[in-house]
Amino acid sequence: MKKLIQILAIILLLAAPFIGQLSIHPSQLLDSSSMNHRVFFELRLPRMLLAFLVGGILALGGLIFQSVFRNPMSTPFTLGVASGATLFNALAIILGLGIAGSLFAFVGAMMTVIILFGVARSFKRYDTSSLLLVGIALSFFYSASLMVAFSISSLQESYEIMRFTMGDLAISGFGDIFILAPTALLLLIVILHYRYELKLLLTSFEFAHLKGLNVKKINAILLLAVSIAVGVVVSIAGPIGFVGLIIPHILKIIYAQSADKLILPIFFYGGVFLVLCDLIARNLGTNTDVPIGVVTSFLGAPFFIYLLIRK
Amino acid sequence: MLTIKNYTNSILTNISFTLPSNQNLTILGSNGVGKTTLAKVLCGITPSQSITINGLYPSKTFGEQRAKLINYIPPKLEVFDSFITVREFLTLSCLDTHISIKTVLETLAITHLEESSCQTLSSGEAQLVQVAGSWLHGAAYTIFDEPTANLDPQKIQLLFRLFKNPNFLQSKVIITHNLDLAYKLGFDVLYLADKKIAYLGSAKRFFEQKNLDTIYQQSVQKIADTLVVKL
Repeated sequence: MKKLIQILAIILLLAAPFIGQLSIHPSQLLDSSSMNHRVFFELRLPRMLLAFLVGGILALGGLIFQSVFRNPMSTPFTLGVASGATLFNALAIILGLGIAGSLFAFVGAMMTVIILFGVARSFKRYDTSSLLLVGIALSFFYSASLMVAFSISSLQESYEIMRFTMGDLAISGFGDIFILAPTALLLLIVILHYRYELKLLLTSFEFAHLKGLNVKKINAILLLAVSIAVGVVVSIAGPIGFVGLIIPHILKIIYAQSADKLILPIFFYGGVFLVLCDLIARNLGTNTDVPIGVVTSFLGAPFFIYLLIRK
Repeated sequence: MLTIKNYTNSILTNISFTLPSNQNLTILGSNGVGKTTLAKVLCGITPSQSITINGLYPSKTFGEQRAKLINYIPPKLEVFDSFITVREFLTLSCLDTHISIKTVLETLAITHLEESSCQTLSSGEAQLVQVAGSWLHGAAYTIFDEPTANLDPQKIQLLFRLFKNPNFLQSKVIITHNLDLAYKLGFDVLYLADKKIAYLGSAKRFFEQKNLDTIYQQSVQKIADTLVVKL
């Protein structure tokens, strides 16, 4: 089954940029002056790469959050990083600075990270559940603030804010890829570097401590790395839900291996899953692209439930 | 040398004692008196500056240096990831290169569990896997919290022989309610009562019938060199 999925995933990645309302034949790529050439290299390929990198980062983020918080329902957005980014993006739109929306979103995400870890430092005794609760409290605060933003914004601004909250992979050119690719690479390097420590954490925190691990420090490094990477993702593509929640679980069921051995597969299939969702979103024949977050939930939820039943 | 000086928290008051290297100890006391709390303080899971082992603070030392100081084996094996196997668990535990996983599994008669997921083990099997892990870890001090609670009589016998073997780990601290085990082990006894150390001394004196009558209010009797609970 694993081999078959691998082959299908590679076929999907190779075929995805050619499929759309405008079908492109590989031979048309040789003509650099053609419209199809431009659509392929300036829209489709960057979009596919963006979907792949975003999916990979979110799936990996899910794996780390679920491991560190000992909670299978944790996602990379659990600590409120996405909510912070969304709120700041909304602020940018309301202030008429929509063009700087990504920058605002990134500032919102990073501000959330700073608040979270600042609060965590003041805990008398560190524990991840307290950090989780602070994250949830921040999320509620941001959600309430977003409601205020909606109520003071115009119809057009509300629509723009709404679109951002559902995630959007429409990009032109490789500008965002040059930001996301190093982000993904750095995240992978950090997580692979701490693979042994992650495995100790996957046993139990006490066990990890007794093996000499500085549990607090390693947890903080992993959460910080994921939060920053997710902050970059959300600032570019908005908060795309469900990928971080289900991909780690699906991969664990398919591979039947502990999470530390699935770092690269989870990144890869997280990326493939979002490329597939984006392909569907682009080809549903609606007037505008269906928001990517809608497709990830529609596609992922039934498959996830099916796997759980089979397990 | 393990030293705890004037340790106090909400459960324990003014706890002080020393345990020299290569000496063993049995910790006894009624339910909820603070035995596990004390164990977690000793091994640095609950941070405290009242404890030093070979001059180091276990809660402030990290890496292999810390791991080599002290280890704690809880009553229940906790493994979050359902796909971590016994072999993987033991590989993670293996800090002592003098002994192999194979030898340890064979000695404890659990070779057949090697590829099993840790989460699918019975309580008794999980306990033996933890003992195997402690052996491979090889810390200067190892605290076993209720090591025989889930074991059948043969496994208790196996573990008893292991605890008596001077080549099995350096200093062993056994927390137990199994008085007969404590009696037969003959390690020095630390008895906790009313938040304090009520007794610290030889097993021989602790297990005198007169002392047992006082501590356990005549519920424990020595019959033919065996301790039994009067039912």
